[in-house]
Amino acid sequence: MTGALTRLREAFDAAGVTGRLHAVDIDSGAEISAGGDRTVVTASVHKLCLLVALHQQAAEGRLDLTERIDVPAAGRAPGPTGLAAMLDPVRISLRDAAYLMMAVSDNAAAEVLLTRVGLDAVNATTARLGLAHTHAVHGFRELLDTVKEDAGPEGAQALTDPYVIARLRALDPARTNRSTPRDMTRLLGAVWRDEACAPEHGAAIRRLLGLQVWPHRMASGFPFDDVHVAGKTGSLPTLRNEVGVVEYPDGGRYAVAVFTRAAGTAATLPAADAVIGTAARVAVEALRAA
Amino acid sequence: MDLIRHLECFAAVAEESHFGRAAERLGMAQPPLSQRVQRLERELGVRLFERTSRQVTITKAGTLLLAEARELLARSEALMATARRIRDGESGLLRAALPPDIAGETVTAILAEFQERHPGVELELGELTTSQQLAQFASHDLDAGLLHHPCDVSGLELGPVLRREVGVLLARDAPEAALDTVPLAALTPYDLILFHRAAAPALHDDVLTTCARDGYTPAAVRHGQGASFIRGLILSANAVALSPRDAHPEHTADRDPDLVWRPLTGAPLSWRLSAAWPRGRSDTAVRAFAEAATRALRETSDVSSEPPPHPLRLRPASEYWL
Repeated sequence: MTGALTRLREAFDAAGVTGRLHAVDIDSGAEISAGGDRTVVTASVHKLCLLVALHQQAAEGRLDLTERIDVPAAGRAPGPTGLAAMLDPVRISLRDAAYLMMAVSDNAAAEVLLTRVGLDAVNATTARLGLAHTHAVHGFRELLDTVKEDAGPEGAQALTDPYVIARLRALDPARTNRSTPRDMTRLLGAVWRDEACAPEHGAAIRRLLGLQVWPHRMASGFPFDDVHVAGKTGSLPTLRNEVGVVEYPDGGRYAVAVFTRAAGTAATLPAADAVIGTAARVAVEALRAA
Repeated sequence: MDLIRHLECFAAVAEESHFGRAAERLGMAQPPLSQRVQRLERELGVRLFERTSRQVTITKAGTLLLAEARELLARSEALMATARRIRDGESGLLRAALPPDIAGETVTAILAEFQERHPGVELELGELTTSQQLAQFASHDLDAGLLHHPCDVSGLELGPVLRREVGVLLARDAPEAALDTVPLAALTPYDLILFHRAAAPALHDDVLTTCARDGYTPAAVRHGQGASFIRGLILSANAVALSPRDAHPEHTADRDPDLVWRPLTGAPLSWRLSAAWPRGRSDTAVRAFAEAATRALRETSDVSSEPPPHPLRLRPASEYWL
């Protein structure tokens, strides 16, 4: 384990990031932690909490996942993917909106679902699961609004300025949606063991995590056709996260949460994305060897 | 029981998940560290860690207490720092640092202005790299500093970010010395002398990325910081160094007869610096240091605060959009 912790530190350092990781063998409970109890900013990783809350409400019969909702073209939360990027009015079921929220981190779909589920319900869900350090203080639109406000008149351009980065409320865990790596692996473990929801809802959540399209973070650490990686990313200026579950053909399954903060302010930093995969691989291999 | 000292031990073991490493970080031996944690567990009536022969794992109870412990530690540190400085009116000690490449003239100006405005405060000024400053902010051993960007600024507040234009330092008889501005690609025949990566890893990597993008991938990167070391390599080992303009005044008596500084074509590189201090821990002394450092840089170095005209093309995987 000590060797793995050293390798993690070296990998994060080589990629120019500060990294926090927690990984756990879902069945044996063996774990590895590198700053796994530090409070971290969740960003879009919090969409996983929203998804679980949505399914809990569906299981209680409080909403119907096949209900279709109208999403007008105007007034959507901003984002570069999914409904947030589409130009025309859309009618979509709640569960397909959830698909967009998880597969491409669609902010507009997430905001539509959050309006339906409620922020309090999301926090009640994480609290009930014992995630004592996980808390959402605002929705995704409001989160992006704080970034816009703090960036000032220069807009996205200002987000590569260290002075602006140091002032973003969205990067301060005390003032935005937060968790710990350990809380997130605990959540994933609960989903994979069907403790978070009834089995059919657990299966739906696991399916959506497996449909995420991004190949550049956790998945990049497991270049094996027979290994399944399911996860949810989160990103903000200098911040790159992913939490997910890695399943090996021998039945081994591991929940991994990696939260990074890059020193560089560039929006495009492939090494900072890839180290999430590298770190996850180091952790999973250490757990498999344990 | 000294609760604060015991909580420090608890937090260190929690963060390192290892008694040996935590002891090393705290600068103490392992047995007294284990005893302190056990004593804290008895005092609180709560088991904080599960210990097996191979690893230490924080318990659920430990996890629940850790955030509060950290808060208490931060508060205690802030209280001690403030008390230290307000003890006799404004007297006290300010622990501050500058990176190694700051010009002597700038250092003098910072010290002079600070002493003039705060004669009662003792300024303990050290030379520390960006990485060392970040580590000492985290361990509460430093009150204020001057950082090279980019670096991880979580938990810090910054003063204005200033840019020092970076050019190339080469032998006066090198063919490229005849150019008014030197394109990076023209440096291909030379090895590059650069500060150690550990000093400021992100800046180091940024510099090499920019060099490569503009056609200069040096056959070897030689790491060094000292002026005479750099001079020796340039003159006898076919190397060039990247260095800010203000470090090499051309029209003064102490200019180097054998070396010459030239701007890079298109000014692709700059060192960005700003004063920094831990968020929420600024007082008049910290602010005075930040202002003195910023003003001294403005007056003694060629700095500008305009951001470069660099368009930002966000890609869909960024997940955010303004």
